[in-house]
Amino acid sequence: MSSPTPFPPVLRRILLPLGTFCAFLLIWQWASNAFDVPVYLLPSPIDIWIGGVKLGPVLWTHTLETLRTILIGFACACAVGIPLGVLVAVNRTVSEAVYPLIVFLNAIPIIAIAPILVVIFGTDMTTRLIIVTLTCFFPIMVATASGIMETPAEMLDLSKVAGASRLTEIFSVRLPYAIPFIFSGLRIGVTVAVIGAVVAEFVNADKGLGYLVTSATAQFAIPTATACVVVLALLSVALYEAVNWTHKLFFNWSVRHDDKP
Amino acid sequence: MNTHNSTTPRPPTGPHPRPQPIFELAHAGVTFTSRKGKDVIAVEDMNLTVNSEEIVSLVGPSGCGKSTVLRVLAGLQPLTSGDVWIGGGTRKPGFAEVAIVFQKPTLLPWLTVRQNIFYPVRALRRRPDRTLNERCDELLDIVGLSEMADRMPHELSGGMQQRASIARSLILDPKILLMDEPFGALDALTREDLQLDLLDLHARTRKTILLVTHSINEAVLLSDRVAVMSARPGRLQNLIEIDIPRPRGPDCIADPDFQKYAAHIRTDIFGPRYRKEAHA
Ligand SMILES: Nc1ncnc2c1ncn2[C@@H]1O[C@H](COP(=O)(O)OP(=O)(O)OP(=O)(O)O)[C@@H](O)[C@H]1O
Ligand SMILES: [Mg+2]
Repeated sequence: MSSPTPFPPVLRRILLPLGTFCAFLLIWQWASNAFDVPVYLLPSPIDIWIGGVKLGPVLWTHTLETLRTILIGFACACAVGIPLGVLVAVNRTVSEAVYPLIVFLNAIPIIAIAPILVVIFGTDMTTRLIIVTLTCFFPIMVATASGIMETPAEMLDLSKVAGASRLTEIFSVRLPYAIPFIFSGLRIGVTVAVIGAVVAEFVNADKGLGYLVTSATAQFAIPTATACVVVLALLSVALYEAVNWTHKLFFNWSVRHDDKP
Repeated sequence: MNTHNSTTPRPPTGPHPRPQPIFELAHAGVTFTSRKGKDVIAVEDMNLTVNSEEIVSLVGPSGCGKSTVLRVLAGLQPLTSGDVWIGGGTRKPGFAEVAIVFQKPTLLPWLTVRQNIFYPVRALRRRPDRTLNERCDELLDIVGLSEMADRMPHELSGGMQQRASIARSLILDPKILLMDEPFGALDALTREDLQLDLLDLHARTRKTILLVTHSINEAVLLSDRVAVMSARPGRLQNLIEIDIPRPRGPDCIADPDFQKYAAHIRTDIFGPRYRKEAHA
């Protein structure tokens, strides 16, 4: 409030973290040089940059491949998770019947089951999509269900007095109310989807950043592998921001309150 | 089954039209069963007949079952004993005859003010036609929100939100308006303002209004009759006719009759407790 602000707030919000980040990179670079850390232990930012540049356009084709896996898997998770979340929340029978199974599925460590899925479904896209969907549909479903269930009683009374049918009630009150909940599920879901995609590419792929990481480490090309990891991190941040942006663009009414500083 | 057949033509509106019942509670009772199996009698043996175009206030100590009575009439709460009749038929939830205004405005934050007012229309999967659009404009005008029609609810003050929710309750032209402490969450000035607006609205639309309030002055100012409920079990304790001529305005409060009625209601509510304390 009373702190002096030399920059306009928007600039400040961008410049401040960017400065920190640059400082972090500089210190890292300086430490690598000063202590002479071997490249195979921890490559310096410049080593990583060179490793990435060496890959050239190959890096982008693999990134696009991973992005494709993430997006399709994420879309599948939404298509399954959101309706299932609604169903579980509004119907007790469905909830009691299905929930334990879903909790069980979610409890399976995805890394452990991935090789088994490869054996069952082979080494094509299907397996990767199944793995990505399995990793990220749970947070989406749970968030949807809690939004649907937490719809305030007054709003439900309102729709009941107005004579809304059960279906109208869900579509006109419960689902809109759940929007901010669903989006927080999507934000978690999309970052988890990145992990799922990498795991899938670790165990079965001849394409994608996960594959690139494993093949590069096999050749002790640590800077190259690290460059892939950096791209993965950037991808994850970009996807997270994309979800945020979609939320703000289409459902601005529901971001307004938590957007205040 | 219906003792108050409303097929007879409505008498011309003179200074004293013949009262015509529009809804009635007969030996109505609501008992809630808690999880531990303990019953809470919220309302017991409640008898109340409200006539068309009347404003009746429901006052009483907290927890005496006022909201429950309103919820019964709105079709949100089934009776566990007795009967309820509305407008000649048994109340079924989901028709346009009864509307309710809650203590909180309960506007849907993802809809504009106008869309919120249209919510009851949409809930019945009807399309807003021309008459409805005209009525919406008229209601926006009555509640003084014409300029705010396309704003989002969070851009409105609390009083404006409550006005919008009153407009919403009137969009399907209900005969009966149920209001559960509609001004309870507002500051004193806004509250007075809305009370006068409600008097105005009643003069213009002649709705039957059943109003729950904690303010004795509000009850006397607005009502034709005040129903005083007693707590545990909630039942009708007294029904007081407020014989102050309409149109009423803010100066009514100075009226000695007004003060007399208010004092009467106050003793009705607090009387039993005063006696109990005198014993202790
Ligand atoms: N859903 C419910 N389940 C169990 N008991 C309930 C329920 N709703 C209300 N009650 C009980 O019924 C009684 C009457 O409640 P009600 O809300 O009608 O009171 P009220 O007169 O509106 O009170 P207030 O003036 O504080 O709003 C209370 O004792 C309350 O505890
Ligand atoms: Mg109440």
